[in-house]
Amino acid sequence: MADTANCRSVICFFSQFQLTKNELAEMPEQKKKSTRTDADSPSKSSRNSKNSNPKIRIYFLAGFLLLWLCAIGYRLVVLQVVRYGEFTQRASRQQQRTVEVSPRRGVIYDRNGHELAMTINVDSVFAVPSEIPDQANAASLIAQVLKVEPKEILAKIQGSRNFSWIARKLDAEDSNRIRALSLKGIYFQKESKRFYPKRELAAQVLGYVGLDDEGLGGIERSFDEQMRGRPGKMLVSVDARQRSLGRVEKQPESGQSIVLTIDEKIQYIAERELDRAMAESHAEAGTVVVQNPHTGEILALASRPTFNPNAFRTSTPQALKNRAVSDIYEPGSTFKIVTLSAALEEKLTRPDEVIDCQMGSIMVFGRKVHDHKPFGNLTVSQVLQKSSDVGAIKLGLRLGDQRMDQYIRAFGFGTQTGLELPGETRGMAKPASRWTKSSIGSIAMGQEVGVSSVQLVSMASTIANDGVYTPPRIVAGSIAPRATLQTVVFKPAQQRRVVSPLTAVEMKRMLEEVVLFGTGKKAILDGYTSAGKSGTAQKIDPATGRYSATKYVASFAGFAPVAQPAVTISVMLDSPQGEHHGGEVGGPLFGRVAQQVLAYMNVPHDADVKNSQRLMIRASAKQSDFSEGSPDRLSGEVDAADIVTAETSATPAITPAAAKKEADRARVIAASFTPAKQQTTPAPQPAKQIDTPAAAPVPTPTRGTVILDAGNGPVAPALLGKSVRSAIETAQNAGIEIDVVGSGVARAQAPAAGERVPPGTRVVVKFAR
Amino acid sequence: MRKNLSFRDFDWVLLGFTMAIAALGVLQIYSASLNTKFADATTGTPVHIKQMYWLAAGILVMFAISRIDYHLLLENAHWAYVGSIVSLLAVAAIGIKILGAKRWIRVPGLGLFQPSEWVKLVLIIVLARYISSLNQKDVTWPDIFKAGLIAGIPFLLVVKQPDLGTSLTYLPPLVVGLFLGGIRFKQIAVILLAVAMVVPVAWKVALKPYQKDRLVNFTHPENDPKGSGYQIQQSLIAVGNGGLFGRGVAGGTQTQGMFLPVTHTDFIFAAFAEEHGFVGATAVLLLYFIVLMRLIQNAQTAPDRAGTMITMGVVAVLVFHILVNIGMVVGMMPVTGIPLPLMSYGGSSVMFTFLALGIVMNIHMRRFVN
Repeated sequence: MADTANCRSVICFFSQFQLTKNELAEMPEQKKKSTRTDADSPSKSSRNSKNSNPKIRIYFLAGFLLLWLCAIGYRLVVLQVVRYGEFTQRASRQQQRTVEVSPRRGVIYDRNGHELAMTINVDSVFAVPSEIPDQANAASLIAQVLKVEPKEILAKIQGSRNFSWIARKLDAEDSNRIRALSLKGIYFQKESKRFYPKRELAAQVLGYVGLDDEGLGGIERSFDEQMRGRPGKMLVSVDARQRSLGRVEKQPESGQSIVLTIDEKIQYIAERELDRAMAESHAEAGTVVVQNPHTGEILALASRPTFNPNAFRTSTPQALKNRAVSDIYEPGSTFKIVTLSAALEEKLTRPDEVIDCQMGSIMVFGRKVHDHKPFGNLTVSQVLQKSSDVGAIKLGLRLGDQRMDQYIRAFGFGTQTGLELPGETRGMAKPASRWTKSSIGSIAMGQEVGVSSVQLVSMASTIANDGVYTPPRIVAGSIAPRATLQTVVFKPAQQRRVVSPLTAVEMKRMLEEVVLFGTGKKAILDGYTSAGKSGTAQKIDPATGRYSATKYVASFAGFAPVAQPAVTISVMLDSPQGEHHGGEVGGPLFGRVAQQVLAYMNVPHDADVKNSQRLMIRASAKQSDFSEGSPDRLSGEVDAADIVTAETSATPAITPAAAKKEADRARVIAASFTPAKQQTTPAPQPAKQIDTPAAAPVPTPTRGTVILDAGNGPVAPALLGKSVRSAIETAQNAGIEIDVVGSGVARAQAPAAGERVPPGTRVVVKFAR
Repeated sequence: MRKNLSFRDFDWVLLGFTMAIAALGVLQIYSASLNTKFADATTGTPVHIKQMYWLAAGILVMFAISRIDYHLLLENAHWAYVGSIVSLLAVAAIGIKILGAKRWIRVPGLGLFQPSEWVKLVLIIVLARYISSLNQKDVTWPDIFKAGLIAGIPFLLVVKQPDLGTSLTYLPPLVVGLFLGGIRFKQIAVILLAVAMVVPVAWKVALKPYQKDRLVNFTHPENDPKGSGYQIQQSLIAVGNGGLFGRGVAGGTQTQGMFLPVTHTDFIFAAFAEEHGFVGATAVLLLYFIVLMRLIQNAQTAPDRAGTMITMGVVAVLVFHILVNIGMVVGMMPVTGIPLPLMSYGGSSVMFTFLALGIVMNIHMRRFVN
C-alpha cells in the first residue's frame, strides 16, 4: 500500500515538475498574450488570468519548496558526509573527559591484622545551581544540617551555573539528613575518605591524610607513595551536566597495605596508662614506647597530647607531633646505663667495686657537681641504685672522652634510629672533639645530651637483648592490595653488639636491683621480675637558656622479666606538677604498662604472684627513694663561678651563693679528679673471659613473625597430663597462647589437641586442684 | 451529492504518509527522552505514550472535521476570527506567564490552552474566504491592505506575548494567499521595498536582546558557544555526528547526553539525524516532500477557489514550520522555537496539524462535486 502510494506520488511529482518546466517555458508567451488581451477586454482577461495564474503560481510554490528541500539536503550532505569527521571529533571532545580515578589507599593493619586506618566511601554533595528553584531556601536548609552560615552555602551555589561543590566527604549522618531534604538540583557523589576506626589510638604513628588523600603525617606520610597506589585513567563519557554515562576504564591500582609491628591491644594499654599518668601528674606531655627487645619491633608508641586523625584539622600542631620520635630531652640518670655498661665492658670496674662518692660533691675540670644527697662508699651497683652522680662521673672519667663517645654512638644516640616514621630526630650528641673539658662529667650523668624516647627504649633493649643493639622498627611489611592476609616474615635488621653478654647480664642484675632496692621501687611488678632506671632532668628554659627550677622531665626505661625480657618500655613525662622524680612518676607508669602487657602476652610468671615481700617494698617506697642525680645543683651561676675560679686559681674559690649552699651541706668535699686508670686498680681480667664483642653470638630473634593469616593457624598441642609450666612451654613452642585455669596437672583443654586454630586463639587448659 | 461523502474518497495516501512520519516521531521522542525525567513512568506518563494519545485524538478529530462541509466553516469564519482576537486579548489580560512569556490561559477543567495555535487555523480559513471572494483579475492595493490587516492584528498580538516564532507562522498563509490571489510582481517589489525599510526600525525598536542574539548567532554560533549560540552549536554537532547511517536508536551521544536542548520537541530532527544519519534524515525529508506535494495536488483538484486557498494555506503553514525548523537544526535559520509538525512532541502542534488535515480531507472528498 505504502509502496504503491509512494510510487504514485513520486510519479505525480515528476510529472508535475515537468509540467512546471513546460509551463514556465510557455509563460512569456502567455504573459504577452495576457497583456495584449488585457488591453482588449478587461473582463475576459481577468477570467483568463484567474484560471491559469493560480496553477502556474502553485507550481512556482512547489518549485520553491523543492529548492528549499534541496538546500537542506545539500546542507545535510555537508554536515553529515563531508564534515562528519570534524563533528564526530567535536562530539567526543565534549562528551569524553580523561578523568583521573583516585586509587584506593592501602590499609594500615596492626600486627594481628586489625585495621587501624582504612578507606571508606562517603558522600560529597554538589549542586547544579540552574536546577535549584529557590536557592536561598536550599542554602538555608543545607546550612542548618551542616551547622554553617547560610551565606557560605549560598555563595557556593551562586558561584557557578552548572556545578559547584557544597560539602565534600560528609559523614553518613549529615549526608542522610541532606538527602532527606530531597532538594531539587542537589546531588551526591561517592568519594573515598580515610577513616581511622580506632580514633585516637596510635594517632601519631598512623598520621593523617589531606582532602586529596595525600599522607601528611606518620606512616601515612612516610609510606605515602606505596599506600597511595597508581591513579587509573578513566575515559568518561559525560553529558551536558557532567554526569557520567558509559565509561571506558583503566582500573586504578590500589595502594599497598602496611602492616605495623604495633599491637593494637598493647597500644591501647600504653595509651590508657599514659592518660592516667598524665591526669595524675598534670604533665604537659608524655610518651610511652613498648618494644620487643629481641627484634626491635615497636609494640606500642603513645604520645600525648594527641588528636583524632578523622578530624585532624581541629587539632593543634602540638597534638599532631609524635613526641616519642621527634622530641629530644636530656635523659638525666637513665643515661647512667650507658656510662656503667661502658665501664663494665671496658673492664674499668666491677659491679661490686666500691667507689668513694666523696660525700656528694666532685669537681670536674673546675666544675663542681653535687649529689642529691651525700653518699660515702658505694658499690658500683649501689651507685646505680641510688643514682649517685658522683659515682657515675668517676666512672665516666675513667672511660675518657673517646670511649664514652664511642659507647654513646654504639647505643644508637646521635643518629636516627631509622624508624619508619617521618621527622625523626637524631638527638643531640656532640662528637668528642667538640666537648669541653667538663663535658665528660655532665654526659656521664645524662646531661649535655639529648635523646628521643625511641632512642632510650633501644638503649634499654640493648641491655635486655644481651648487649646486641637492634634498630627499632614499626613496619612489619607491606602486602599487595586485595591480597588475602598473609604472614609477613621478619627480616632481622642490622644488629650490632654493643656490650658483651656478660656485661649485659651484670647490667640486668644491677638494673633489677634499682627496682628492688633503689629509685625504681614503684616499678616492682606482681608476678614478674623487672629492671629499669629512672631519670629526672631539669628542662632548659628556652627564655633564659638555663635550667628551669620548676620544669622537669621524668623518665623511666626498663624491661621485664629480667632473665628473659619480653618487653622493653620507656616512659617520659614532660613537666609533671608537684612530684617530678623519674622513679616516682615514671616508675608506676612503667609498672602498670608492663604488668598488663606481660599478662596480655601471656608471659609466664617468673616471680611469685602476690609476693607480699615485693609488694611491701613497692608500697613502702618513700619519696626519698626516688630522688636521684638531678642537675638542679648545677645552676648556671655556680657553674660559671666555678669555671672562672678553676681558671684563675688551682684551688676552688667559693662564691657567696655557693658558700651558703656548701655551709648547709657541711660535709662537702671538693676533690679534683685523677684519671681512672691511675686511681683504680682494674679488676684482674679472668683468663677464661673470652666474650669479645665479635665472637659473642647474636641471639636469634624471637616473636619476630607477625601472623596475619587466618587460614593456616597453628595446631593445638596435646597438653593433658602436663604441669602448668610444661604446658605453657609446650604451647609456646606450638605458637599458641593458653589460659590457665587452676593449677597442678592439666585435666582438660579446649580446643582439643590436634585441632587447627586461628592465630591468636587461646587454648583454655583446666588443671586439677 | 454533498450527502454522499464516502470514506472511499478519503485521501488514504496522504494519511498513510502522515502516519509514517508521526510514527518516526514517536520513536524518536521515545529515544530522545530515554534518559530524561520525561521518560520516567513514576513521575507521570512517558512523553512518547502521551504523544500517541495525542495522535489518536488528532486522527479522531481529523475524521470528525472531514465530515463537516468546509463551506460551513467558510461561512462562519468571521465569527471564528472574532473569537480568535478575543482569545488573544484574553491572553494579554488574564494570561499565565511561563518562562517570561504570556501565551497561555487557564481553561477550567482542561488545563492550559494556547490560543495562538488555533488562530493559525482560523486565519487560514479567513484569508482563504477573503481572497477567494475577490472576484477581480488582480488584487488591488486596498485588498492587500485589508488582507494584511486580517493577519496583522493577531500577528501583533502574538508578537507582544512575546512569541515571535508563532506569530511568524501567520505570515505564510497571507503571502501564499496574496500570491495565488494574483498579486503582481510590481506590487511584490513595492512591498519588499517597504519591508526592507521597516525591518531596520523594527530591529531596533521591537526585538528583544535575546531575539536579536538568536537571529545574529545562527550564522556564527562559535561566537557564543555557551549562550544563545550553544543550541545551534550542539545541534550542528549532533547532525554531523550522525554521519551517513547514524548512531542507532538511543545511540546518539549528543541526544542521550543532553547536550542537545529540548531534544523531543524543537530539536527532534537533530536527534533523528544523529541517530539515523544522512540516510534517515533524507528519508524523512522525502516523506515530508511527498506529503506536501500530495497536499498541493489536493489544492489543484479542489472543487472551488476557496478550497484551493485553504489547502494552500495549510501547505504554507506546514512548509514554513518544516523549513524553518529543519533550517534551524542544520544552521540555516535562526532559532525560533517552532516545532516540527508531526514529529515534535506537543498536543497543540498535533491537534493543529490534524485539524488542518481534516479540513483538507473534506476538500479532497468533494473534489468530484463540481
